[in-house]
Amino acid sequence: MVSQALSYPRTVQAVSWQRTVRNVAIVVAAVMLLVWTVFPFVWILLTSLKSSGDMLSVPPKFVFTPTIDNYAALVIGEQRGQYSSTRPDFPLFFLNSMIISIGAVALSVVAGIPAAYALARFTFPLKNGLAFVLMSFRFVPFIAFVIPLYILYQRIGLYNTHGGLILAYQLITLPFTIWMLRSFFMEIPLEIQEAAKIDGCSWFGVLARVILPLSLPGIAVTVILGFMFCWNAFNYPLMLAGRQTFPVTIGAIQFISYEQVLWGQMAAATIVAALPQLLLSLMVQKYIVRGLTMGAVK
Amino acid sequence: MIYPFGLGLYYSFTSYWLQYPNRFRFVWFDNYVDLMEEPLFARALEFTLGFTLVAVVVQVGLGLAVALLLHGRLPGRSAIRALMLLPLMMPPVITALMWKIMMASTNAGILNYMLSFLGVDPVNWFGSTEGAVASILIIDTWGNLPFVALILLGGLQALPTEPYEAARVDGAGPAAILRYVTLPLLSPFLVLVVLFRTMDSLRIFDVIYATTMGGPNDATTNLHIMAYQYSFQWYQMGKGMAQAIVLLLLVVIVSYLLMRLWNRASESTS
Repeated sequence: MVSQALSYPRTVQAVSWQRTVRNVAIVVAAVMLLVWTVFPFVWILLTSLKSSGDMLSVPPKFVFTPTIDNYAALVIGEQRGQYSSTRPDFPLFFLNSMIISIGAVALSVVAGIPAAYALARFTFPLKNGLAFVLMSFRFVPFIAFVIPLYILYQRIGLYNTHGGLILAYQLITLPFTIWMLRSFFMEIPLEIQEAAKIDGCSWFGVLARVILPLSLPGIAVTVILGFMFCWNAFNYPLMLAGRQTFPVTIGAIQFISYEQVLWGQMAAATIVAALPQLLLSLMVQKYIVRGLTMGAVK
Repeated sequence: MIYPFGLGLYYSFTSYWLQYPNRFRFVWFDNYVDLMEEPLFARALEFTLGFTLVAVVVQVGLGLAVALLLHGRLPGRSAIRALMLLPLMMPPVITALMWKIMMASTNAGILNYMLSFLGVDPVNWFGSTEGAVASILIIDTWGNLPFVALILLGGLQALPTEPYEAARVDGAGPAAILRYVTLPLLSPFLVLVVLFRTMDSLRIFDVIYATTMGGPNDATTNLHIMAYQYSFQWYQMGKGMAQAIVLLLLVVIVSYLLMRLWNRASESTS
């Protein structure tokens, strides 16, 4: 009895000690995860606000007088020691990104709605095969398409045009749109559709009056995610766009030239290029995983 | 979509060289045979497969750890979850440029400066073979770890609770529960992330293009970069297209195998 009474508090102490160690380890791991995720953004933001002298100081400065020179240079395009014909025209690139992304998503949604509806609600021969082929576009190495497209575009005059890029971007957005919309359409109960049919709707009426209004939030999510994937695109414009049609992803890389790397302006450019993505991803955060797996994970 | 691809397949059997259009001939499998004899092709194939293997193991392993961490009780969990979405949706090129700024090879680069506190000598990130491979792995992991972690976290939160209660009643410790309960139940999700990460690692391009361009000394040249160099730096469209077809075949075969595995995994648990 005596020994038990003595040892009892000690075990409690040991258990709570163990628990403390465990909790500290978890918190340390969480802090490390947070730093790993956020620090690059913080550092690039700081870099974009530095003057060129502060940029190269050893050790790197955390405290400095901020300047908006880099952003001003981005917008106005002033660069010392570079000819105006070679400087990246960043506002134009931003506009290009907008035009191409919005155009590509609009085309995909218009073409994708009937296709997604057919895949979700009708049976027809080769349906599963078609669905699989569309899915596999998510995994195709772009170079297998961009070489023939490049040759083709040079010949028929689509090279370095917004229209040509919008068409090429369909390789990214169309399969994605069809799969996402299909997964949203399939969530609508069949009974509603049947009820509309009994009330005298054609298949088109069912689509226009029942399915589309009900899946409007899903369509909005698909549009936003599709826009983000277009914004991220780099491969297709790298080969199929020219100076007049470059999007921001190509624009940002142009601050690396043979003579020098314009670190400050490149940092400012990455911030500007990332900004729409950061804002939009907070808007659709619940659906990002679903979008990246083309609806496979909800 | 089919037409450009068919055209490309046709070009892979020709000696199409953009600057010399009159040398255009149908050469059957010459491009493919040339590839087999090209030493760079063997190295690029090796790097493609090796990088994919290491990247998938590292990212899925770390992703599982992060998912388990976020699954437990943790202050600020939803905030961390939301922040992790940010790297995920960044353009990969922009991610690569951000790290390129941080990985400047002198002490002015913040990463080397931080490592100096740990007693690590300045790393020549993009100039040395090991540094270049490591930096591409780090950049790719930063962008894609959240993808793995969030899918596995979603999987963890959807798991039924009964098996856990049963295991606890049987007196299983945390390690045994992880090994015999969590991982088997999670296997459809694990296979899914392995599938997506494998496909994306096999064809990684943006990050390598923006940082090392396949260098130094072709150490980070994978099949995708090699096909790009042949077709858009030397304009040998026929040869580039043949490499693209080889890469495509590789992706198709691997994805077919993994999808079969996925079907089996989701059947066995549901």
